[in-house]
Amino acid sequence: MVNSYQATSLKEALDFRAKAAVTPYAGGTDLMIKADENVTYLFLNKVPEMKNIVEDTDYIRIGAACTFTDILESKLTPAILKEAVSHIAAPAIRNLGTVGGNICNGSPKADSALIFLATDSKLRLVSSRGERVIPINEFYLGRKKTALQADELLVEILMSRVGLSNYYYKKVGARNALAIARVSFAAILHLENGKIVNCMTAFGAVSDDIIRRADIDGMLIGKTIEEAKVVKEDYLAAYDREIVPIRGRISAEYRKTVCMNLLRDFLESNGI
Amino acid sequence: MTKFMLNGQEVTSIAKANERLLDVLRNEFRITGVKCGCKEGECGACSVILDGRLVNSCMAAMGSIEGSSVITIEGYRETERFAVLDKAYASVSAVQCGFCIPGMILASECILVKNPDPTEADIRDGISGNLCRCTGYNAIVKAIGIAAKEGEGLW
Ligand SMILES: Cc1cc2nc3c(=O)[nH]c(=O)nc-3n(C[C@H](O)[C@H](O)[C@H](O)COP(=O)(O)OP(=O)(O)OC[C@H]3O[C@@H](n4cnc5c(N)ncnc54)[C@H](O)[C@@H]3O)c2cc1C
Ligand code: FES
Ligand code: FES
Repeated sequence: MVNSYQATSLKEALDFRAKAAVTPYAGGTDLMIKADENVTYLFLNKVPEMKNIVEDTDYIRIGAACTFTDILESKLTPAILKEAVSHIAAPAIRNLGTVGGNICNGSPKADSALIFLATDSKLRLVSSRGERVIPINEFYLGRKKTALQADELLVEILMSRVGLSNYYYKKVGARNALAIARVSFAAILHLENGKIVNCMTAFGAVSDDIIRRADIDGMLIGKTIEEAKVVKEDYLAAYDREIVPIRGRISAEYRKTVCMNLLRDFLESNGI
Repeated sequence: MTKFMLNGQEVTSIAKANERLLDVLRNEFRITGVKCGCKEGECGACSVILDGRLVNSCMAAMGSIEGSSVITIEGYRETERFAVLDKAYASVSAVQCGFCIPGMILASECILVKNPDPTEADIRDGISGNLCRCTGYNAIVKAIGIAAKEGEGLW
């Protein structure tokens, strides 16, 4: 009986994915926690097309099977991503764990996924039928559900090459990866000629999904810092209404309070 | 069936592709320097060097290591660098029960390969995935610093 497939090219991986019910395996650092006897893995860790970090005119393109160590070692990695990844676990886990696995596990605690959401990155999903590129916030459908089709693989993450340098990132709580009381927040404020041309925020580990509300952040776009100050309290109030902590968790309210404090600190550190 | 290099020799495992490398090393190959402390990637007792990088062998399924090179303490023990680390650890009594030490030594090797002259912060980050319940880490950190000095030119 075949109990695994080892792909050595993307085409081979997509063919296996199309014809059998397989579980994609990148670094295994989520899957191996509850190792399943009967699962059929599709090993992606040696697929060259998923292991590059390159740039084109618009994007930095990160292969989904790049490990956290690959991310830290690449000169192309934007600073906000590098900082978040450097706080993930310990070297031995960073040597195995991948950004694709971090995105696809659908966890609201995923630290690199938070950054891809806070930067409105795009995902290139490919199957043997074809491919599509979707904004990452359309990938998450709530409670660990994603838009990934049964025959698709996440192949690349596309990050904007510009507009990400003025960032804010905080991961609060115990360093230990399995600790529960952990909140993370990432944000970008992109100013040009004194005007806010983009504001993007994302909250991790506070709700079922990572929270990214472009509609609320839109309140600040097009404004000067002075004009942003005028709507600041309304902006904070909007988030206060919309962040619904995971129900039933004792620490949920605490985590929401921390989130709101980080959001305010992000604004204030930018003079708003 | 998985073919890979184990401490420099080509071997073939008959284990299933979804078995943990940790279990296969211990049970099939009798490589018992690889310790099991948690099977959750938290303790580092199962650390091995996979294609030049430190990894937790409990987190690696056999199918992912086809064609790869795995170094455990049994193989590393034969190197000159090991002798330097061994002496440095002994000189500051950095070993108590010893359970964490195979993983610690391999982590030490990876720290020094990356940076032959590491700062204390580099050392602490490098062993941050290796738990030790006995020593309180300070002696281990010191030992790695001593090895960096004594082993000049080796890394
Ligand atoms: C000790 C420890 C500490 C950790 N600390 C952190 C931490 O601080 N922050 C953090 O965010 N995470 C942490 N993690 C979780 C884990 O390391 C990350 O989520 C990692 O990014 C998972 O990637 P992987 O390649 O190992 O995933 P895998 O286990 O290989 O896969 C995870 C999921 O994604 C799917 N998948 C993987 N790649 C693809 C693809 N290309 N296309 C489609 N589906 C795919 C798999 O089928 C599976 O469902 C930790 C884990 C451990 C064991
Ligand atoms: S047994 Fe692998 S990290 Fe603990
Ligand atoms: S010496 Fe006992 S666990 Fe480290």
